[in-house]
Amino acid sequence: MAEPELLLDSNIRLWVILPIVFITFLVGVIRHYVSILLQSDKKLTLEQVSDSQVLIRSRILRENGKYIPKQSFLMRKFFFNNQDDGFFKKTKRKVIPPSPMTDPSMLTDMIKGNVTNVLPMLLIGGWINWTFSGFVTTKVPFPLTLRFKPMLQQGIELLTLDASWVSSASWYFLNVFGLRSMYSLILGQDNGADQSRIMQEQMSGAAMAMPADTNKAFKAEWEALELTDHQWALEGLEEELMSKDLDLDNMFSSELPTGIF
Amino acid sequence: MASVSDMYDVTWEEMRDKLRKWRDENYRNSEQIVEVGEELIQEHASKLGDDVWIIYEQVMIAALDCSRDDLATTCLHELQKQFQGSHRVKRLAGMRLEALERYDEAFKMYNDILQDDSTNTAARKRKIAILKAQGKSTEAIRELNEYLEQFVGDQEAWHELAELYINEHDYAKAAFSLEELMMTNPHNHLYCEQYAEVKYTQGGIENLELSRKYFAQALKLNNRNMRALFGLYMSASHIGASPKASAKVKKDNVKYAAWAASQINRAYQLAGHGTKETKCSLKAVEEMLESMQIMPS
Repeated sequence: MAEPELLLDSNIRLWVILPIVFITFLVGVIRHYVSILLQSDKKLTLEQVSDSQVLIRSRILRENGKYIPKQSFLMRKFFFNNQDDGFFKKTKRKVIPPSPMTDPSMLTDMIKGNVTNVLPMLLIGGWINWTFSGFVTTKVPFPLTLRFKPMLQQGIELLTLDASWVSSASWYFLNVFGLRSMYSLILGQDNGADQSRIMQEQMSGAAMAMPADTNKAFKAEWEALELTDHQWALEGLEEELMSKDLDLDNMFSSELPTGIF
Repeated sequence: MASVSDMYDVTWEEMRDKLRKWRDENYRNSEQIVEVGEELIQEHASKLGDDVWIIYEQVMIAALDCSRDDLATTCLHELQKQFQGSHRVKRLAGMRLEALERYDEAFKMYNDILQDDSTNTAARKRKIAILKAQGKSTEAIRELNEYLEQFVGDQEAWHELAELYINEHDYAKAAFSLEELMMTNPHNHLYCEQYAEVKYTQGGIENLELSRKYFAQALKLNNRNMRALFGLYMSASHIGASPKASAKVKKDNVKYAAWAASQINRAYQLAGHGTKETKCSLKAVEEMLESMQIMPS
């Protein structure tokens, strides 16, 4: 069935769409600077630094172990994975899941996160909804089902209107997510205005507890190291090297560097 | 005294960029840094903007190397005025005390930093450097081992440990440290070569074989490493002349040594560019190779 084409007033474009883009962008930039001001220093403990380096060393042993002699490789593998007192078997780190009650700094971090991110979004979303209400703002280029109507067409009380026509509130949400790449361009990676990344972190952060990671990481490294074998990279080296003359081009140049510059 | 910019006809921007190049590539040419840097901070400090602080640090360390305490104190004062309470600046103050051989005060300063921030690696390394400067190598080795237990990834520290062990003639442990370095930097021909030299010094057929392999590896990574080429020749001839080697091993090693000798000759030929002196130097090389020949004992 043919859809009637709605002709929108071009004033909408000038006075609704562009202002919402500007507002979202500026609010994002302000959020970024506010989050920098409110940032608390994360102090690493000696143990955390040490553990992360040990994990790196074990990984390097797995990847580049083939460049050292077999005996040395086995010695190190034994040190890490030995049944009774290998490092990965022996070390157990104390695991305290950091719930907001026990760790006051976590609590303040959570509150700060909420204030800088969720609160402005709600406030501005509501204000836009209240200001720019009662008219259709734009049309999304793909067809939507009727179930999206109450969500996207807040304030427009037309039952027969196609769900593709949306109100300004949904344009605002579109902007919040769409301007992410603009923020990366202007504020650099890892900026505080990145709404969706923060929400992703919050969702995944609830599912995992950080300190338990160390024990699990150790176990994973232990398994990976058990499986690694030693294939000496220097096995047929001399034959390969001596099959042709050394490349001594440009070894002796007649120009000598003089002075500093 | 002519200024650097007059002597070499360079602008202050070129001087600043040269200092940056030296910083990035970790050069230790302290006299040149002091020459260029001193003029830069005396004449052009205002034009440098925020770069001036890192240049102060670079020039200060170079000044300590050249015994220029006046310049070092100036730089230190500027840094202390700008960054009060900074650990990085405190470490520089400690280094100056070390240069003046006031080791106890420097030691106390580093301990203060560590009390504040136990993960500060710079202060811990300076404490070990003090022990080394005082000649207490066994304590330095012990402290360095403890440091490395915590910070296993610090390559600078592993190299320092290797050097300390070599000085104490503990070659097995030096080899261990060099292996760590080879693992983290598999493409660095210098570590392979140093490892091979340590193995050669340890002696014994297996170590000589290993050393020959690693000299070959160093050559493979960098065809122009003359020291590795000579090392290959020496280790191969040594195995070839050893009574314990089997006939096949002897044959192989004699072949390797011959190849290495031919490459050495080639290199010296290229060096001479066919001039009259070439004949003399080639003869000298041949005589040298003959004299290095190891007679079967």
